[in-house]
Amino acid sequence: MPSYNLYMGCSVPANYPNYEAAMVRVAEALGMELNYMEGVACCGSPNLRAFDYFGWLVVNAGTIAIAEKNGYDIVTPCNGCFGSLKDVLTHLKHHKEDLEKVNVELKKHGLEMKGTVKVRHIVEAMYTDIGIEEIRKKIIKPLDGVGIAIHYGCHLLRPIEVTEFNPEVLQKMVEVTGAEVIDYPLWKQCCGATVLPVNEELAIRLARDKLKSMKEAGATFVTVVCPACGNQLDLQQIGLKDSYGEVYDLPVLLYPQILGLAMGMNEEAVGLEMNRVPADPILEHLTE
Amino acid sequence: MSDPVLVIGAGVAGMTAAVELADNGVQVVLVDRKSTIGGNALNLYKAFPTDDCFYCFEGNRWRPGIRKCFYRSAMIDQPNIELMTNTIIQDISGTPSKFTVKLVIGPQYVDPKKCIMCGLCVEVSEAFALESPQCQPQAVTYDPSKLDEGAKKAEQDCPTKAISLDANPSEKTITVSDIVLATGYHEMQPVAVDEYGYGVLQNVITQLELARILDPNGPLGGRLVRPSDGREAKRIMMIQCVGSRDENYYPFCSKICCVFALKHANIIANERADGRVSVVYMDIRTYDRHERYYREAREAGVEFVRGRISRVVSTEDDTLEITVYDSLLDKYLRFSIDLLVLSSALEPPEGLDEIIKTLGLKTASGYVGPADAASEDEVVVGEHVYACGGVLGPAEIPESVNQARAVVSKILQGRK
Amino acid sequence: MTETEERTGPPETLIEPIDMSKLDPKFRKEIHSMPNAEELSACFACTTCTAACPIANQWNYKPHQLIRMILLGMREEVLSSKEIWECLTCFQCQERCPQKVKVTDIFFDCKNLAAEEGIIPPNVLALGKSLIEKGQLYEVLNDWEREDLDLEAEVPGLNTDTIKEILRGTRTGRLVGGEK
Repeated sequence: MPSYNLYMGCSVPANYPNYEAAMVRVAEALGMELNYMEGVACCGSPNLRAFDYFGWLVVNAGTIAIAEKNGYDIVTPCNGCFGSLKDVLTHLKHHKEDLEKVNVELKKHGLEMKGTVKVRHIVEAMYTDIGIEEIRKKIIKPLDGVGIAIHYGCHLLRPIEVTEFNPEVLQKMVEVTGAEVIDYPLWKQCCGATVLPVNEELAIRLARDKLKSMKEAGATFVTVVCPACGNQLDLQQIGLKDSYGEVYDLPVLLYPQILGLAMGMNEEAVGLEMNRVPADPILEHLTE
Repeated sequence: MSDPVLVIGAGVAGMTAAVELADNGVQVVLVDRKSTIGGNALNLYKAFPTDDCFYCFEGNRWRPGIRKCFYRSAMIDQPNIELMTNTIIQDISGTPSKFTVKLVIGPQYVDPKKCIMCGLCVEVSEAFALESPQCQPQAVTYDPSKLDEGAKKAEQDCPTKAISLDANPSEKTITVSDIVLATGYHEMQPVAVDEYGYGVLQNVITQLELARILDPNGPLGGRLVRPSDGREAKRIMMIQCVGSRDENYYPFCSKICCVFALKHANIIANERADGRVSVVYMDIRTYDRHERYYREAREAGVEFVRGRISRVVSTEDDTLEITVYDSLLDKYLRFSIDLLVLSSALEPPEGLDEIIKTLGLKTASGYVGPADAASEDEVVVGEHVYACGGVLGPAEIPESVNQARAVVSKILQGRK
Repeated sequence: MTETEERTGPPETLIEPIDMSKLDPKFRKEIHSMPNAEELSACFACTTCTAACPIANQWNYKPHQLIRMILLGMREEVLSSKEIWECLTCFQCQERCPQKVKVTDIFFDCKNLAAEEGIIPPNVLALGKSLIEKGQLYEVLNDWEREDLDLEAEVPGLNTDTIKEILRGTRTGRLVGGEK
């Protein structure tokens, strides 16, 4: 049974426990041993990187150093955490002088980063380590071909030399549930979450463009693998009703929720009622 | 035995054609109106794409000598080449394969067979000059318009009696089977583009003038200085497309100026202490592999400003206050500059139009055009008339060499 | 830049050019030495970054112009621009750049320099404060939600002491402390 260091970050546990619950259950059903990491907290997000690059390096190197104690790869359900951890790991692997400086700070906390573990997104770990054929065997209530638009999230896709994430992974993971992946023009575009603190209007506009593009391409549902993206696309639909008078009615599901349902879990187990845009219409598309 | 081939112009293209024809047993008369052969390439300092003049004569490596002098030495050593410098074409008549050409040979003030380039005459008179230590023929040159007392003294004191100040021009008529035009291009003197002040402000020069300044063998020994006062020039600005792509002057892109401007910018940025270069451009056209010059320039810290110069004002100490419109920023920038270098259009050389008329050739923007525009034989410009190098339009050295070789191939095929 | 100078008489020309001698030629080198800015000077202003940017049409300074401004030495204008803070960090400009200029990363560098000089939007500074005081950007407030899902009320393994201590010793600490 593959074991992992589970890094939750701060957003999923606080805002999307349904994501956490669905992920933990699906992983368990797939035979993955997820161990919550001890002694970690927030990654700081791209915001910390913006105003305190060095602090951001040290904080994330600290997380990696903790994982290195047992040697298992880090998995995380959050694109922000994934991007931060993987970027820091990549940077410090290629910049030994920075690694030395960082380790001077970490030593004060009894830590040292070497760069011996990998940082991975939970979806990629499921795809690579369990495999699509094994997952297919667990699907007992496949979706009926309903159209789902994937929002990958910027920090999962880019910069590619850092994330090393192949979009096909998520596509196959959605298709294995029996859903149809809907291509839409703005698939690469940002959800707008990062700009929320400095320009909310702009953030809303970005979410709108994205939702519009998905809807026009014929999507019935949306799936995401990041709490910040999920928040933007889900919650902003309510705001869009007020600011633009537009109703999109596009339920946004965290990916493990879809997989969990297709694997036969019930809606409570994957926390479906916590989704802002009511997501229970997905149940009508599950075949018995 | 067949009549010789006449090659007009002893620059890169003409020399290549002459040497390769001669090597194949063809008699060649190679004429150049200047006293020293080499054409524009002689003054390029470092030529792209190799930053040397090596590339074009790669095939001639077996010849004795090094670098600049080794190919020119072939002009003298090859018995099948009759080299006539200081010579102009007076008239061409006859029929293809049997042209009658009347040549006027300028007065031979200095006999290259006797001159040992000792430098005595250059010391006593301004009328004498040594174009380059590697010049061909190996002799000093004399400019009769600068005749002074020293010149007369030089004539008397010349240890080999090589100087004859009262030499006279002579004429010669020859019969040739084929004519190869290799008269090259000429750099436009951009006096008419008055916003830049060329010809008025001393510190406004052209790219070929800059090449002379940068050349360690040039008159200033390679010191980058302002012509106005000889003070070191640290801040250089270049402006591209001066007279090129301009319906008021030449509608065509002069093709190679971007690359040689960048070549110069790189030399200054990398080899001259504190040299700071700004290049003002509308498009940078570094075709095919020459893109590397552009990339190297940016890495070397050369500043690129997309836009045009609004005005050039000279201050009391000859510094140029230049206002530039930066179209990418939509802002006006003001620079203080020591030297403004104009990438001036490359135009057909003087007298080419007469040759074109006499031989009934086609033209392309003032240059020689192919006889059949639809054919791939761009070097065939008439019956038994060929062209290579800059005379077909601005060309880089390897291209000139390739065209010269195409001409050689055509002539040899015709003689089979 | 030039505003502080005393002006006498009417302006010389209708256009007031940016005086290159008043700009900071070291700015380019300063950015160049920061993380992932090695390719800064490779920019040839093709504007691909601006074409790729989803929000540049909202900006006074487009991404390619910000890079130009860095190269020209317009330090003050770049560091005080709102644009660098509005960057989505979506990396589309960086992904498409034909010269491998890491545009997004360079904007991160600019933000770090700006922050070092105390230029930071209040809402972003508030995030720094949250990290220093709580060790997190988000805290679990509704623990019943977690319990409903059979998750532990407290996130297992959570320890915010380390991050707080680290950031107190870095720029975050200086920025947040300086505010008080």
